[in-house]
Amino acid sequence: MNYPVVLENVVKIYSHPMKVWEKVVSVNDLSFELPEGRVTGFVGHNGAGKTTTIKMIMGFITPTKGKISVLGKEPSDVISKKKIGFLPERPYFYTHLNSREFLSYFGSLSGLSRSDLDRLIPLTLKRVGLEDLGKRRLSSFSKGMLQRIGIAQAIIHDPDLVIMDEPMSGLDPIGRKEVKDVIASLRRDGKTVLFSSHILSDVEDLSDNVLVLSKGQKQYSGSLEALLERNISKYEIVFSAKNEGAVFNDFPKAEKLSKTYLLSFATDEEMSKALYELIAKKYTIINAGAVRPKLEEIVYGGEI
Amino acid sequence: MKNIFSVARYTYLEMVRNKILYILLFFSFFIIGLGIIITQMTMGNPQDIISDIGLGTTEIFLTVTSVFIGVSLVRRELTLKTLHPLFARPVSRAEYMLGKFFGIEITLFILTLVMSVIFMILLTFYGGFSRFFTFIPAIYTIFIQTSMVTAVAVFCSTLAEPAVAAMLSVSFYIIGTISYNLVHFITKNTSESVVKLVTTVRYILPDFHYFNIKNNLVYGTGIDKISLTSATFYSLAWIVILLALAVVFFNKKEIN
Repeated sequence: MNYPVVLENVVKIYSHPMKVWEKVVSVNDLSFELPEGRVTGFVGHNGAGKTTTIKMIMGFITPTKGKISVLGKEPSDVISKKKIGFLPERPYFYTHLNSREFLSYFGSLSGLSRSDLDRLIPLTLKRVGLEDLGKRRLSSFSKGMLQRIGIAQAIIHDPDLVIMDEPMSGLDPIGRKEVKDVIASLRRDGKTVLFSSHILSDVEDLSDNVLVLSKGQKQYSGSLEALLERNISKYEIVFSAKNEGAVFNDFPKAEKLSKTYLLSFATDEEMSKALYELIAKKYTIINAGAVRPKLEEIVYGGEI
Repeated sequence: MKNIFSVARYTYLEMVRNKILYILLFFSFFIIGLGIIITQMTMGNPQDIISDIGLGTTEIFLTVTSVFIGVSLVRRELTLKTLHPLFARPVSRAEYMLGKFFGIEITLFILTLVMSVIFMILLTFYGGFSRFFTFIPAIYTIFIQTSMVTAVAVFCSTLAEPAVAAMLSVSFYIIGTISYNLVHFITKNTSESVVKLVTTVRYILPDFHYFNIKNNLVYGTGIDKISLTSATFYSLAWIVILLALAVVFFNKKEIN
């Protein structure tokens, strides 16, 4: 497995703007690797250090300590940025330009030729749902539209590594769906994606891996599946019965749902045992399995 | 090189679409209009007065514009965070800085042409069409002086906020304009140490005296080719030094 982004013991300390003797530790001893071809969701509370980490990866700011490698080079390496797409946290762009001019400018800076730009600009605008707004100035765009044009500039040059800071922020449900479709298509194309988000259901829907940060320190880095499985708290069986009168005799702990019954267990062994019993007594099994907590419960509930 | 060209092109586009530029341009036309009224009220040669006002207004307008644009363009991008997506591209900070400078230069060149045409029309109105061509060296020196002021402003913008950077740039301009005369004034009356200090300041700061040839042309004293050539090289040398320093400071800056 290749790792396009590697952080080793990275620390970022800021001086207080007014009191230079006061130091603020924004990122503390952070190490992680971003696996190639995977989508990684980057989550944490406000002020956890997500944006600072992203800025260090992009080479906008330098770490106080530690080492960062992006596509095998220093983050400040100019040439490797041809293969990187980036969406900033706040979509402030050149409002005096229209969508086409804006994409043409950023595309040309990424080395795209005039003919490439002529071909790619309409396709990219369509991909983010702005195909009818090519000649409209960004000054008249809503926040959601700016977010979309920001995503367009991040992907127009077909980068291998895409880093997005809060890509779903400010978007309505349709906009969110479109951005999720873009990230899903990047995943299908084998791109490496890192995106931060406060909307953890989106992270759960899109990510292969998650990176959880709290107060500048890593809480978890790895497979989303493993994190969710690690936090399984109970197992459940939903079943129905032809002879409803016998249910509470056979399973006194069963709970009545609207038309079915629910059994809860602490371990999978208990659940398996109950399953055999249910089948032997001719009950109909509707659903059985582990109850996974939502990522939101794990991250914001402090269960990591 | 391609990146410098791209940044310069879009910087020019940004300024052409900036309303404040047109307000400044309108204000300079207003001053020229005022000049016409003054011409009616004074005893001197109308062509000399129009030439004085035309060249003076061109110089002030271009200097104010270059300071205003020079200090705000880079700083504004830092404040608005528009630099993040830009530096996520394969663009070095030096390329960006040079692109910005050349973008401003293209705009100033076009503004110089516009102001010159207005000046030419005015002179023609007062029967001095052929005289306009004798002022081309003065317009040229105003342009290269403005280029140097732009480099000063861009350099100051990497050190301080726009208001402070503007004050610094204007201070450099004022000191640079009067330092030559100051040296000649104080040599007769003041102590040697003060003379040394003022002379040193004159040599270590940009000296705009090299570009002051418009009075020679308006009142017929004339100029030589050497002074134009030396002014050009002097300006180029300062622009290279100031932009190199601006790049050094900008490279060290964290783009938060």
